[in-house]
Amino acid sequence: MTQSKILLFGWLTTAMLGHSALADNTVELRAAGGTFDPLQLVVPAGTPFKIKVTNGEKIPVEFESFELHRERVVQPGESITVNMPALAAGSYKFFDDFNDKTPQGEIVAK
Amino acid sequence: MSPNKLARGGRNVLLVGAVALAAAQLWRPVHANPRGNGEIVAPAKTSEILRRACYDCHSNDTRWPWYASVAPLSWLVQRDVDEGRRRLNFSSWQDYATDPETAAHKLDEIAKTVAGGDMAPWHYRLLHPGARLSDEDRVTLARWAAEEARRSAATPTS
Repeated sequence: MTQSKILLFGWLTTAMLGHSALADNTVELRAAGGTFDPLQLVVPAGTPFKIKVTNGEKIPVEFESFELHRERVVQPGESITVNMPALAAGSYKFFDDFNDKTPQGEIVAK
Repeated sequence: MSPNKLARGGRNVLLVGAVALAAAQLWRPVHANPRGNGEIVAPAKTSEILRRACYDCHSNDTRWPWYASVAPLSWLVQRDVDEGRRRLNFSSWQDYATDPETAAHKLDEIAKTVAGGDMAPWHYRLLHPGARLSDEDRVTLARWAAEEARRSAATPTS
């Protein structure tokens, strides 16, 4: 019985921590120092979500994904919110179309 | 170099070229027109211009020309269509519209590109005279795209 309670507590804690990055179904992405941070976003498959993209660079960036049909310009120091559809499990690339030296990132839907 | 050697050299070059061209036909890209997701809706005149001048590269309704079956042109055509569809696909407009600001951005780029005379590309216009845009076509497309961009940007997001 005690063991069951411990297992339940552990499961609940894990579940809560797992969803903390998706408060309001929004994940955050920052462009700074010539890269995206993080380079990999993990989201639940089958659920629409949003990405808040913040530009910490001194030049505009263009958040773009061919696979996800998204293309948005973010001015220096500004943030935008990108609506994303429910994704099938898999990996989807994104990149900065204004700065081709910025490494590609990926959204992983699980 | 004697005329005989020169002629033999020329024949060899032609022979190697012919063999290379024949071998190139073995690598044939698959020209597909897959199903889209929610084609863009536009007034009849605008839609006619889009279909005539833009759809071959920017939609899934590509009219594949005869030379798209002959290497190496087939590779170049496939590359242009792949790139065109990746950048802007009128057959999958609903995918953009789920983020209205993305749709607005695409429309804004269409307005600027068309008004600036950058589309269709010159090499495409050479082989497809129908893709040439008259001044009236440009005004029609650019006005429509700018108006739709404003409308899309004003769409409330959920």
